[in-house]
Amino acid sequence: MKNKILGFTCAYAPVPIIEAAGFQAFRVLPQGECPDQAGQLLHDNLCPHVKRVLDRALDNDLPGVSAMVFVNSCDSMRRVADAWRSARPGDQVMVLDLPSTNTPSSIDFLATEYERMARTFFTWNNLTFSRERVRERINVWNDLSQTLALLETKMGEAFYPGLAAEVQTVVNTAATDSVDAALAMAKAAVTKAWVPAGGHAPVFLFGNLLFDPKVFDLFERWNMHVTRLDFCTGSRFVSTVDLSQTDDPFAALARSYMTGPPCARTMDITRPGSIAQKIVERAGASNARAVMGFTLKFCDPYLARIPGIRQALQAAGLPFLMLEGDCTMGDIGQQQTRIEAFTEMLGV
Amino acid sequence: MMYDYFSSIVSGITAKLEEDPHGIHARKRYALAVAALGQRLYSENARIAWCGVTAPFDLLNSMGVTSCFVEFVGAMLASTETAELFMQEAEDAGYAADSCAYHRAVTGAMLKSAMPVPDFIIGTSSPCTAGLAVMENMAKQYRKDLFVLNVPQSESPAAVRFLALQIEEMAGFVAGHTGQALSKNRLGEALELTNEATVLIKEIYGLAKQKPSPVDSRFLNNFGVVITLFMGTREGVDICRAFRDELSHRIATSAMDPSQERIRLMWVQNRIQFPFPMESMLGDSGAKIVVDELNDVTWEPMDPDNPFESIARRILSIPFSRNVDSRVAHLQELAREYQIDGAINPCHWGCRQGTGVRGIISNGLREIGVPVLNLEIDCVDSRNLAKGQIQTRFEAFTEMIQG
Ligand code: SF4
Ligand code: SF4
Repeated sequence: MKNKILGFTCAYAPVPIIEAAGFQAFRVLPQGECPDQAGQLLHDNLCPHVKRVLDRALDNDLPGVSAMVFVNSCDSMRRVADAWRSARPGDQVMVLDLPSTNTPSSIDFLATEYERMARTFFTWNNLTFSRERVRERINVWNDLSQTLALLETKMGEAFYPGLAAEVQTVVNTAATDSVDAALAMAKAAVTKAWVPAGGHAPVFLFGNLLFDPKVFDLFERWNMHVTRLDFCTGSRFVSTVDLSQTDDPFAALARSYMTGPPCARTMDITRPGSIAQKIVERAGASNARAVMGFTLKFCDPYLARIPGIRQALQAAGLPFLMLEGDCTMGDIGQQQTRIEAFTEMLGV
Repeated sequence: MMYDYFSSIVSGITAKLEEDPHGIHARKRYALAVAALGQRLYSENARIAWCGVTAPFDLLNSMGVTSCFVEFVGAMLASTETAELFMQEAEDAGYAADSCAYHRAVTGAMLKSAMPVPDFIIGTSSPCTAGLAVMENMAKQYRKDLFVLNVPQSESPAAVRFLALQIEEMAGFVAGHTGQALSKNRLGEALELTNEATVLIKEIYGLAKQKPSPVDSRFLNNFGVVITLFMGTREGVDICRAFRDELSHRIATSAMDPSQERIRLMWVQNRIQFPFPMESMLGDSGAKIVVDELNDVTWEPMDPDNPFESIARRILSIPFSRNVDSRVAHLQELAREYQIDGAINPCHWGCRQGTGVRGIISNGLREIGVPVLNLEIDCVDSRNLAKGQIQTRFEAFTEMIQG
């Protein structure tokens, strides 16, 4: 029997908890051809991520989804959680409170939120709550994350045509199908005989959402060697959960999610603006010679940090190209000239 | 320069008040307190904290910190028609032109060194996480320590405990910067003053509900948000008393002309902060704003014996800290209590938090028979203002209400 499907929209919703409670985790990505209708409930000035997700809900383009978890991660995400109740009143909906800082009290609170989330999902699925089951799924998740890390290391070492798109396909599988299936794909990708090629400019990519594997093939065609997919739909989504420090899987999840590579919305208050330095470091570690940012329009968490990121990259001598859009293929296609000029300027 | 500007306002209003020492002059006393706060913020020797909107100002006042939410500066710049210069500065530095203009103006002022340098910064995730990004940038720019109050969206016991714990941690953070530990006695006194002011605020709103309402469209403009800055102080109590007394006096002397409120309106979220002839536009149609969404008391009295938890509960009770269902329920309650005929939502451009759900708010008010006029106004940035269009829409709206 197929598992019931539970939808989510933010990388801070741990898939291991959803799967442990017997659901198929399904990330509702802002894609598809459904008509623009979100404006009935939300203002146009919200990011295309949440508007598109709501369009899908209003168009009933969510086959099998009967439950949703939203994360109180930014103003726009709060609003789509609000709108969901009007758009699909029949769904079971949970909103998880996610602190904006990674202080000890925030991490402790998030651990209680993750436990609340798990207990709610087990109840929704008429299963007995099991911490052990959550730990088991975290172990599989970690296996996936470590296997993906091998592929990402490879991405940084040389230009392997098609590898970035392959990594993205694995991540999408974990997000919308199953972690087991993604793990099998990742393991197959690790053993595949990838053939390196030359003549492409190594560029570290970061931002909020960019998830269509075809986009990365396009970038390659435009002379780019993608060294990292630092998106909340990319490598940041599948980050390792450190189970070695605690027996409590929820505490482990909270600590790992809050201290791992951050989304712009999560702050280290001891080092304000440190996301910029972290991008510089990760870009360097991936052997990139330049950095390209992509963020959705109206995304306050990212857009407010871009000037600081630009400064830090400049100081590190890393050329930077910033794109803003709606993450559709059509929109990316319009950036061809700028991206080609950028990779050409890198002179590989 | 700014210090001198505020000082001249302080002396001007003080001189006016001295001409009539027994007069009530609520708005003047309020303007005087606001200018004096501006003066303190720009003076060399005050301990200053830039904060988020829902920071506990009574606690900060009790610790001797001159504190203010940064959006206040955005509003002030707009009201003096200087915001444009600073917004342009922020945009030129790469900050998105479609972000909240309160934040853009403040960011520009920071970049142009027109803001007082704080001793430390306290961000709050309510009302908006957009504001948190500004606080982080500020902490980086000024190289000052940052503390953040994460405000959960629920009022569960765990959420209350978490916020109360953070408020206690915040007091420790402040003490670490001022060198003075929190005095439980002083905090207790401050909370008693908050309670005294709150009783008066409730009376003010109670009077404003009357028909005809003793308020005019401007009387309680920005009141609910700005008065929080004076909570925990005797000055705050005195301002509230002046407002209460002025409304009582207006009622006693039948000062309000019922023909001026053929249409009673509610204003959703923030007012327009730059000079804009709202009152005359409305007045021409016999319409009047009798209530603002942000003018309400949603919390229980503070418990000086349990200060952190009661402050936490207060912050969590604010509709902007909660989900849209709570916000709509609150708007519906206000609509009924004030017997309003319609609502105006300026839909402040750039505000994902408040404007984001405008469709749901309109539906919620229409459900109880209250029509809503959704405008497209940036309440701080007047550069793209289409005044004629707004006037036409007001007229159509009021005509529609009058049938
Ligand atoms: S982080 Fe940005 S892209 Fe993601 S939901 Fe929030 S505003 Fe939209
Ligand atoms: S108007 Fe909206 S975005 Fe701007 S400060 Fe207020 S709540 Fe935040």
